[in-house]
Amino acid sequence: MHTGYRHGVQHVVAEARREGPGHFRVTVDGVDRMVDATLIDRTTLQLCIDGQTIVAHVVRIGGADHVWVAGEVYVLRPEGVGGSPEHAILAPPQVTAPMPGKVLQVLVETGQRVAAGDGLLILEAMKMEHRITAAANARVRSVQALAGEMVDGGAVLVELEYEDPT
Amino acid sequence: MQRVLIANRGEIAVRIARACRELGLAPLAIYSEADRTAPHVLAAAAAACVGPAPSRDSYLNIDAILAAARTLGATAVHPGYGFLAENPAFARAVVDSGLIFIGPSADAIAAMGDKTRARQLVSQVGVPVIPAVEDLPADAAAAQRAANDLGYPLLIKAAAGGGGKGMRIVRAEADFGAAREAAAREAAAAFGDGRVFLERYFSRARHVEVQVLADRHGAIVHLGERECSIQRRHQKIIEETPSPGVSPALRARLTAAAIAAARRVDYVSAGTVEFLVTDDGDFFFLEMNTRLQVEHPITEWVSGVDLVQAQLRIAAGESLWLAQDALTPRGHAIECRIYAEDPANGFLPCPGRIALLREPQGAWIRVDSGLAVGGEVTVHYDPMLAKLSAWGADRESARLRLVAALRDYAIVGVTTNVPFLADVLTQDAFVAGTTHTHFLAEHLAGWRPAAARLDEAVIAAVLHQSLAPTGSSTAAATPVAAVSPRHTLGAWRLGSGSR
Repeated sequence: MHTGYRHGVQHVVAEARREGPGHFRVTVDGVDRMVDATLIDRTTLQLCIDGQTIVAHVVRIGGADHVWVAGEVYVLRPEGVGGSPEHAILAPPQVTAPMPGKVLQVLVETGQRVAAGDGLLILEAMKMEHRITAAANARVRSVQALAGEMVDGGAVLVELEYEDPT
Repeated sequence: MQRVLIANRGEIAVRIARACRELGLAPLAIYSEADRTAPHVLAAAAAACVGPAPSRDSYLNIDAILAAARTLGATAVHPGYGFLAENPAFARAVVDSGLIFIGPSADAIAAMGDKTRARQLVSQVGVPVIPAVEDLPADAAAAQRAANDLGYPLLIKAAAGGGGKGMRIVRAEADFGAAREAAAREAAAAFGDGRVFLERYFSRARHVEVQVLADRHGAIVHLGERECSIQRRHQKIIEETPSPGVSPALRARLTAAAIAAARRVDYVSAGTVEFLVTDDGDFFFLEMNTRLQVEHPITEWVSGVDLVQAQLRIAAGESLWLAQDALTPRGHAIECRIYAEDPANGFLPCPGRIALLREPQGAWIRVDSGLAVGGEVTVHYDPMLAKLSAWGADRESARLRLVAALRDYAIVGVTTNVPFLADVLTQDAFVAGTTHTHFLAEHLAGWRPAAARLDEAVIAAVLHQSLAPTGSSTAAATPVAAVSPRHTLGAWRLGSGSR
């Protein structure tokens, strides 16, 4: 069975085939790996990948798999496969407020081009000023936020149109 | 002093409760409506609610906290750090209620809390302060002359301010006039007070602080310094002791200055005197923190002194049992602060629910945590989740131990700065010990997670989907034993096939 995952702006397609008890051939983006897998508890896997043993934790939160490996957490959002990765959706085009707060400053205007990491606006929340940035190169489709305005967590602040990653 | 009310929450409240129990004292907790079942409440012998979630209505509510102290039969109050810890009105109210305040006098807190007065007090006893122009003339030409006399680069700061508002760095004479006007405008808008003052600016300085401990009878010792140069948003995220940039000669001068500053305000309890140390080995007083410091564990590692127990014993009136000559630090310790924040996105706090937690363990590893699975990281409080510290016989072994512990630290459900901290600790410049307050801007600007193990994460996700029953890893999980045959696919046995 193929499963497609989106990690940030990246796409990965994986397929697992059981070749024996606890023994799998896993293909990730066309590369085969031989994996022995043991479920230790409901969120913990011991994996032996091409002879290297690691422990991973997997938790499903809001439709995405949050996978911990070696001190890093990867948020993998399953997505339908079939469409080629080039046509798949990038990071959510709507930039939302991560928490309730006050918009201090809007740094972009409609039509402007922004690069990954560029500041879009400054939000004041949790007693600090936060710079909200673009996840990838994009064009600003619309700006919903107004300087001085109070916003709820999840409110759409800016809509982006991501550029083709290729 | 039998029953100690801990006027705080999170990891520090848990840590203080532990010290109370060790000394046979009953720890008493306060909590907001959002923290009813938080770890610091579970760590206490009794607890009382002090109000709704916002801290101004609960953890900053002096009347409610004093009422809780009465209800719970407290005889003393430990303020922790943050919240009311440096509020002289709180210290005074505690004492006026007939309770012991575990900390310095309200007068000492007030004296050090007023930055201008603190500068004057410590300079009276020979402690160097940053060259400054405190009363900047209103006349533009006179202000320009004062700035030129001070020298460049200089920093313009709002007299009423903080948090970077009304602050400007001026590197050349020609830029001063416009910068002064802009800073004054910003200060007036932010604080309703457009007054600004000038300070010499040091771009590559270290932030070094000295821990002091004083009893109620005039005895005072220092417990060495801590280097806290690794900062983002003017907040420390990694601290270590001893400082790689402090020679024995400089240490002697810094610690003597710290003790002189503390004596000037008749300091009692644990306190910290902060200094800016320049590349040339000059140092200047920044401020005194009249409370327990977040990063106190690293001093505990190398000194063997439990600072919270010491605060409790001093508050009970005990004479200082430590002699300066006998306080020889041993080895090296480094701490990093674990925050629910996204270092790839301006260190934006990341509220959420902790879905999985595996704290690192091992010899010379310490986790100070106020965190539990299912716990909610809310917008109401500081997003610091825990502190991870490690000791080593030397700096490099402490560093390697801390990096290994970070790679073992699993927090799932909220974005944390764990991978960022590991990357800071493995920078060549950090290994070399060349840390300064602009380290992160210089070495880690534009940081993104390496995501070097994406393939393994994908393998884990796809195999978890095969091996674990649907929904098994979500909050309402079914135990592994209840796996439905539909999902176990024939003859698989969980646990087989591994080496």
